[in-house]
Amino acid sequence: MMRSLLAALLVVGSVPSPAAALLAVKNPGVYTYLTISDADSLDPAYSYDTASHMIILNIYEPLFQFDKASTEKLIPLIATQVPSRENGGISPDGRTYTIQIRKGIKFHDGSEVTPEDVKWSIQRFILQDRAAGPSSLLMEPLLGYASTRGDDTKILPTVWADTQKAVSTQGDKLILRLPKPYAPILTILASWGPVLSKKWAVSKGDWDGTEATWKKYNNPAKETSPFFEKAMGSGPFKLDRWDRKTKEFILARHETYWRGPAKLKNVVIKGVNEFGTRKLMLQAGDADAIYADRPLLTQLQGLEGVKIIDDLPTVEMNPVVFFTYKINSTGNSFLGSGRMDGNGIPADFFADKDVRKAFAYSFDYAGFISDVMRGKGTQATGAIPKSLPGHNPKGKKYTLDKKKAEEHFRKAYGGKLWETGFKFTVAFNTGNLPRQTVCQILKRNIESINPKFKIDVRAVEWPTFLDSYKSSKLPIFVMGWNADYPDPHNFAFPLLHSQGDYPTTQKFKNPEFDRLVEEANGETNIAKRKVIYAKLQDLAHEEVPQLYIIDAVRYRTQREWVKGWFHNPIFPDSPYGSYFYSISKD
Amino acid sequence: MLKFCLKRLAFLPLVMFGVTALLFACLQFLSPEMRASLYIKDPRQLSQLEAVIEKHGLRKPVYVQYGLWLKQVAQGELGYSETAKMPVAQAVRAFFPATFELTLIAFIPIMLVGVYFGVLSAVYKDKLVDHISRFVAITGYSLPSFVLGLLLLMVFYGKLHWFPPGRYALETDMLVHADTFRHFTGLLTLDCLLNGQWTAFVDVAKHMVLPAATLLYISVALLLRITRSSMLEELSKDYVRTARAKGLPERVIIRKHALANALIPVVTLSSLLFIGLLGGVVITETVFDFPGIGRWGVQAAQQLDIPGVLGSTLLAAFLFVMANLVSDLLYAVVDPRIRVGN
Repeated sequence: MMRSLLAALLVVGSVPSPAAALLAVKNPGVYTYLTISDADSLDPAYSYDTASHMIILNIYEPLFQFDKASTEKLIPLIATQVPSRENGGISPDGRTYTIQIRKGIKFHDGSEVTPEDVKWSIQRFILQDRAAGPSSLLMEPLLGYASTRGDDTKILPTVWADTQKAVSTQGDKLILRLPKPYAPILTILASWGPVLSKKWAVSKGDWDGTEATWKKYNNPAKETSPFFEKAMGSGPFKLDRWDRKTKEFILARHETYWRGPAKLKNVVIKGVNEFGTRKLMLQAGDADAIYADRPLLTQLQGLEGVKIIDDLPTVEMNPVVFFTYKINSTGNSFLGSGRMDGNGIPADFFADKDVRKAFAYSFDYAGFISDVMRGKGTQATGAIPKSLPGHNPKGKKYTLDKKKAEEHFRKAYGGKLWETGFKFTVAFNTGNLPRQTVCQILKRNIESINPKFKIDVRAVEWPTFLDSYKSSKLPIFVMGWNADYPDPHNFAFPLLHSQGDYPTTQKFKNPEFDRLVEEANGETNIAKRKVIYAKLQDLAHEEVPQLYIIDAVRYRTQREWVKGWFHNPIFPDSPYGSYFYSISKD
Repeated sequence: MLKFCLKRLAFLPLVMFGVTALLFACLQFLSPEMRASLYIKDPRQLSQLEAVIEKHGLRKPVYVQYGLWLKQVAQGELGYSETAKMPVAQAVRAFFPATFELTLIAFIPIMLVGVYFGVLSAVYKDKLVDHISRFVAITGYSLPSFVLGLLLLMVFYGKLHWFPPGRYALETDMLVHADTFRHFTGLLTLDCLLNGQWTAFVDVAKHMVLPAATLLYISVALLLRITRSSMLEELSKDYVRTARAKGLPERVIIRKHALANALIPVVTLSSLLFIGLLGGVVITETVFDFPGIGRWGVQAAQQLDIPGVLGSTLLAAFLFVMANLVSDLLYAVVDPRIRVGN
């Protein structure tokens, strides 16, 4: 009722006023983006959220950058060229990368970027290794393991020596030595481990680059870093101020930027949680672009001076339905009775492939896309999104087919399941409408197949969800995955490898999956990798550890006077947040 | 009176201790995994859940964590608020002045309008002014603040471009953060005036008009109705009838006799209203993108930001004790029968 009233109010408010129609470019030179995200930290080695990362990639520069909208082609930034086997930058065994560092690049304080800054920045990125931070992204390819600490939380004895061996300099060159070939390393370096000023950092009390002190900076408290709220990079914008009170970032143009100064003088990134307020500010021209998700699109269409750019690809797989193969039954209310008696399910309920297949045939993929996503996006064919190499568009898909679902339900548990029925609870985290709808579609369709099948759908707050998830108490859970870097390995490993984030909780382990994931990651030949990933996709279709629903697309809302924006799906917070260097207002 | 005040203030640490102890007791019902959700926002971080629990000491018994927190407090620190991205004490200093300023600006009109129209409504019971007052009161009380806020924004910002949301425009933002701008009081309107920045003052004031108007409209209703009913009760009492029989002018009867007695419940309600506003008006602050303490407090609670919750709760407890003290003192002012301290 209240939502309807609010929607009606917003529609009334959408009627263009004469003043809005006549609006000239407002605040030329100042680009304002309104978001709902709250940046966590501006320290590139600490932050792992898209809101912070988007700002970081405007202030700092990595070695390489994706060429405009491409997620495959790289262009050099701090490096003078992208290393390859052809130019000698990558050794024949694929384990040594030699990267020439560009001269003449200046930090925001006017000092010059040196190879020592580059080495120190990458080593700092690895050695800081805060819990739940991004360090493992570079640690895995460069050191061969994912944490500087063991299970006992103590620092591993070889970390320092391994890091020195992996990241070093030779004159003007940065040398990276990998323990084994790691195909995505360059794409990781295009987003992570940007270059910071060592001199500035040390003067503010940060790590001095020595073995004697590095442990002091391992797994730090967020606010202790000088880079938490201040910045010293070489990117096209410098940080003027982060006002944590008003949730506002103000960036100023880097006048001596080596590729020439940006067209925009200032960029304002502001957190405004209320959609109605964001929309009114966009209408009034006080905002140039705003965050708005799919259900809000109809309220933005037809606004005077506002442009909607739709069908923008993403590098994400969301939502995904995960089956838990061995459910933790201790004090678990999600399982019902915990037995196959019609009032619950046993802990290994989803270990039966027929149950998983029956669920796969019970989901209305087309209905979800047409009704929830307003017809935007296409059905996913596997764990790897279609914007990445390794995605097989011709892969097999499940469709809603209740007859086939019934066949599998009848076969499951030797026919016992069909006779006794089952009951369990599926949970989603409160406030996530697509995930809620996924649960409801499964419930509706499965309950219609056999009246003895009962599924309760329960909304739980994120803390409760997290608690139940971690302890493998959820029989089914609906989550998603966003890319850290545009490589199929970034989806294949966390979703399908037995040591990946999700299979660990699912208690899903299949040696064939592990073998294929590892083989593809070590293969640097794109064509060969694609073949391996196609096999992996077929295997995932047959084994059904998860249900992949949609290859989603997004839309962007901006004022018509915004020029020069391009969509790169791997850029953090894209298509809402941006790489501001190319943007102008005229 | 001084003794009375000191006695009441002596209870303050006890109240605060009680509140925080109660909060920590409630924490026993939350698992370490639940509380780690404050630091785990993205599925990419899920595999590090145990490391996060270890890092923040969330597996320690609650009484140990309370002891550590009390030790911190004894050292003058209130911990670090993840939602505010700053230490708790700094967060209170950052958010509270904005709410205090907004409360002050809204509260004076609330009192004037509420009491004036409440009295008028009682004196002219069932007349046109009473009907209008009651209609305004009922609509104000029943209209959700986010609907009213958005309506006001649409008209006065979307259509007329008069009163924008937020705290200030970009130019003022730059100005108040410049080294030359001195923050004398923390109240931005006042500081702009004291710095001689007239344009900035107008800009800040313009940004406060709509949130203040929203607060006025939604808060005045209760005060108006209480004043009206209290006044009606007084006007029907024998001493008023006697005063009328003695031939006292109606104006004197209302102002000097009936109103003074009718004000006691109004004082109680006003102090509660004032605390309510100071504690933060979450929806109004959210709709108008106003960086107040309420928005922070709610975010802290939603995200299980325990230091943030403790900080905002301590502030609320402090305000509650202080407002009660002030209202007790005011009772003595409005009613000579009450003698504070005796």
